Amino acid sequence: MQSESARMSSATEARFRIDAPNSLPRAVKVIALDPPSERVVKTLAQRQWSRATFFTASAFGSAPKAGESFAGWLSDIAGRTKNLVEEVNGADLVVMVAAAGESAGAASIIGEACSLKRVMTTGLILGGADKSDEALGKTLSQLRPWALMLVVASAEEYVEDMLRALRA
Amino acid sequence: MLRKEQNDLLTQTGPGTPMGRMFRLSWQPALLASELPENECPPVRVKLLSERLLAWRDTQGRYALTDEFCAHRGVSLWFGRNEENGLRCPYHGWKYDHTGQCIEVPSEPTESGFCKKIKLKSYPLVERGGVLWTYMGPPEQQPPLPEWEFAVVPADRSFTSKRLQESNWLQAMEGGIDSSHVSFLHSGELDKDPLFKGSKGNRYNMGDKKPVFEVVESPGGLYIGARRNAENGHYYWRVTQYVMPAFTMIPPRADHPVHGHFWVPIDDENCWAWSFDYKVTRPLSAHELESMQAGKGIHNEYVPGTFRPRQNKDNDYLIDRAAQKRGDTYSGVYGIAMQDASLQESMGPIVDRAKENLVSTDNGIIMARHRLLRALKAMEKGETPPGIALEHQRCRSAAVVLPPDQPFKEAAKEALVVQTGKEHATV
Repeated sequence: MQSESARMSSATEARFRIDAPNSLPRAVKVIALDPPSERVVKTLAQRQWSRATFFTASAFGSAPKAGESFAGWLSDIAGRTKNLVEEVNGADLVVMVAAAGESAGAASIIGEACSLKRVMTTGLILGGADKSDEALGKTLSQLRPWALMLVVASAEEYVEDMLRALRA
Repeated sequence: MLRKEQNDLLTQTGPGTPMGRMFRLSWQPALLASELPENECPPVRVKLLSERLLAWRDTQGRYALTDEFCAHRGVSLWFGRNEENGLRCPYHGWKYDHTGQCIEVPSEPTESGFCKKIKLKSYPLVERGGVLWTYMGPPEQQPPLPEWEFAVVPADRSFTSKRLQESNWLQAMEGGIDSSHVSFLHSGELDKDPLFKGSKGNRYNMGDKKPVFEVVESPGGLYIGARRNAENGHYYWRVTQYVMPAFTMIPPRADHPVHGHFWVPIDDENCWAWSFDYKVTRPLSAHELESMQAGKGIHNEYVPGTFRPRQNKDNDYLIDRAAQKRGDTYSGVYGIAMQDASLQESMGPIVDRAKENLVSTDNGIIMARHRLLRALKAMEKGETPPGIALEHQRCRSAAVVLPPDQPFKEAAKEALVVQTGKEHATV
């Protein structure tokens, strides 16, 4: 008699995998940290997504000053101000997009908010191959403490490929 | 997830397919040199990239990799007589030389020259590092012989095995770059397996089961860095190499031999998992060799007379539920190789990636697919895919402790390429 494993790993049996959704859409917040990545994120925002939303923090290099709130710290792609903490609260994953050599100072604010709310963070550094190691290192060192997963990609298309792979 | 058409593109490697073309542009391990141990030895059936071939060694020791079937009536030449510089079909005596050229058709007048009109498809087959390599692409694009470090160190410093894996090549290869499974699936082996135990790095591994990953493109593919906390605010990095399309190298542990794999399609539902271990500056010790031959480390035991693992799907991989419960092994399956293979085969012959739910830590896998798809597009425009250039092959995995603010690609730059006469950077 055929073993359980032999029988069940066949192509014939693979056809009987239940054809029903096995996950709920994940809320993914994609945040551009600098002007070059803002351009990439804006282009992506025009495409069809499940539950991905797109923001920019490129105008905000540092934390709100004492007495200021996070209410207007983030902007959506249309330029409307957004509350960082509220956005993070509703996120399953926050993706921070930075261009190699640019300042990723906003990563610490976003990362801290994610850390407090135990939200997974991914950092994407674009254009790493074209910049000097020093320039890449600068961006990397700002993102590294706050990204639980960090990717250095040469092609901008990787952002879309990654978001599609994650069912964003 | 991948859409069905993307999954098909990456998993289908037969003649005429884009992914098959990429594989065919580089030298692939075809069989162990020990499978053809002497001149005029019995031929060996080889199926690669969905092509049925026959490997043999003629009277002068020339290796041949030719179409398995006689051009006359389609008989398998595995039954052939290997004699006097050729392989003779036992059915009607047609004879072929090591290039596949027919050199005798006994029923036809010799003077007719009929045999010159018959030639079997053949591919070059060359020995390097105890492995017979073949190139199945267009002859005008044949690259120089492979220079993977394990294949060019002296013979006593390297050990290579192969095993049949009953799944598509891609799900096997993706296991090779899926660093986050090690702390779970292989947790029972790290401190027991003779080819893994005793490394300080194992303590970092077990002390921090949630490593942080960094995926960085390399010229030939990817570096996948797994970062764990070490002493004094430093990070312990394990950097895996992936070179396209199907080479992976695991970071070293202590002074153990360094190991890695090739994942070579047999057809779309089976692949060869090639496993190598090597040292650069010293011969493998008797104990290391015995362990590898006994199936320890990334190697495995076999069904006698075959390259099929002793633990296979027909015996449920000899799963031991009591050992699983006791925690001796995490999955109940013994041995690193078969722990991986059992799970990858359980996905079915070709996993449906439209149903998967990848997470952020799967970015190594996502990037590997992205690079493969990108390279396929570029290949259609005439570009050479990564992994073929010799400098892409002169790579190393590494295990290093680095300060917290340095890109590992830069800080470990020397450790990630072959350093003649120096061992791998290891912890």
